[in-house]
Amino acid sequence: MGVGPSTKETTLHHFRDPLLEVVAADDDIDLTGIIIVGTPQSNDEKYFVGKRAAAWLEAMRVDGAIVSVDGWGNSHVDYANTMAEIGKRGIPVTGLSFIGTQANFVVKNQYMDAIVDINKSEAGIETENVGENNMSSLDARKALAFLKLKMREGK
Amino acid sequence: MEQEKQYRRLVIKTFHIDQVVSDNKTIIELPKLSIFIPDFDKKLSKHDLIKDVQVDIIEPMKHDRWTNSIMDIMPISTKVLGSLGEGTTHTLTGVCVMLTGVDEAGNQVAEFGSSEGMLKDKLVLNKAGTPSDQDYIISFNVTLKEKQGTNRTAILQAHRCCDEFIQEIRNHLKKMDSRSYTEKHEFYDRSKPNGKKVAIVKQVAGQGAMYDNQLLPQEPSGMEGGRSIIDLANVPIILSPNEYRDGALRAMT
Repeated sequence: MGVGPSTKETTLHHFRDPLLEVVAADDDIDLTGIIIVGTPQSNDEKYFVGKRAAAWLEAMRVDGAIVSVDGWGNSHVDYANTMAEIGKRGIPVTGLSFIGTQANFVVKNQYMDAIVDINKSEAGIETENVGENNMSSLDARKALAFLKLKMREGK
Repeated sequence: MEQEKQYRRLVIKTFHIDQVVSDNKTIIELPKLSIFIPDFDKKLSKHDLIKDVQVDIIEPMKHDRWTNSIMDIMPISTKVLGSLGEGTTHTLTGVCVMLTGVDEAGNQVAEFGSSEGMLKDKLVLNKAGTPSDQDYIISFNVTLKEKQGTNRTAILQAHRCCDEFIQEIRNHLKKMDSRSYTEKHEFYDRSKPNGKKVAIVKQVAGQGAMYDNQLLPQEPSGMEGGRSIIDLANVPIILSPNEYRDGALRAMT
């Protein structure tokens, strides 16, 4: 399991990413940067890169982070680990992921309490239609709103 | 009170295209884009795992046609001044490039589900990552040699070959009269001292063929000069907002 046609983010998606647009346009938010982290194969490597991403966020002294993921299944192992590493450092974190009916998290933890499901298909599945289950501007606004709440509550 | 600090300015100028045609030379005469479709046989000597390339111009909504699995959709953008994330970028609107792939035995180039079929069914329009219903699509279909669809080297060749084709258009886009733009967008990398500090983390694929991403190419959304997240051992890399919105991430999933 990994990146399917309906969740894949094309180069065009990155060029006009709704998540960047929403976060950058918000006057209450000081967007520090975009961290790109990969999805390696072995569990050791997954833990290594997730922890390094969290260490970066701590070093940047951020008040919060939003984590998105381009696939599911195996990719959710990395995702859950990175969310945990961020959460353990006391940094409020929210996220965006394809879940639907098909992609419930294979592993989960207490820090994954505000994740926006970007599924758009009626059946909640990987439809193999390009673009169908992509994150929209509304999804991004929800993830940022959740983050603002979590930052206010300081958790 | 601490002052806002501006670090870098990026200007993206768009040039709108409402007609794309095949011609004997590539030229942009707004709002028309003419493209020269070369004889790829001569170009494939350095891409030895590619059997054949076919380029088609798909008119808006004329999507009642077969497509092989969609590997990527990309804008046609180029740096005019400065490097990625600062200076000036020209980009075409109304047209994008779609890279598709199959091997000569008919196996679709895909990793986890494939999107071959009738284009009108397989491509959901008007998303951030897909063309609008008004857009032209330049279809770049690569036929790889048999059983190469899961070979990372072959996938890289497909992306590079497509990038070289786009570069021909970019070279003309670079020379466009800067004042003839359709829209101009200015972006600043800046601090907002009174705002809550937030970072975006994007987890992207990085395990092999069709599960890869290229970072910080020379041209926006390009391949040449970029670094693969696999070769970077998947470790976190920080992009400034302007680098990211200037096409620093090239999907290869």
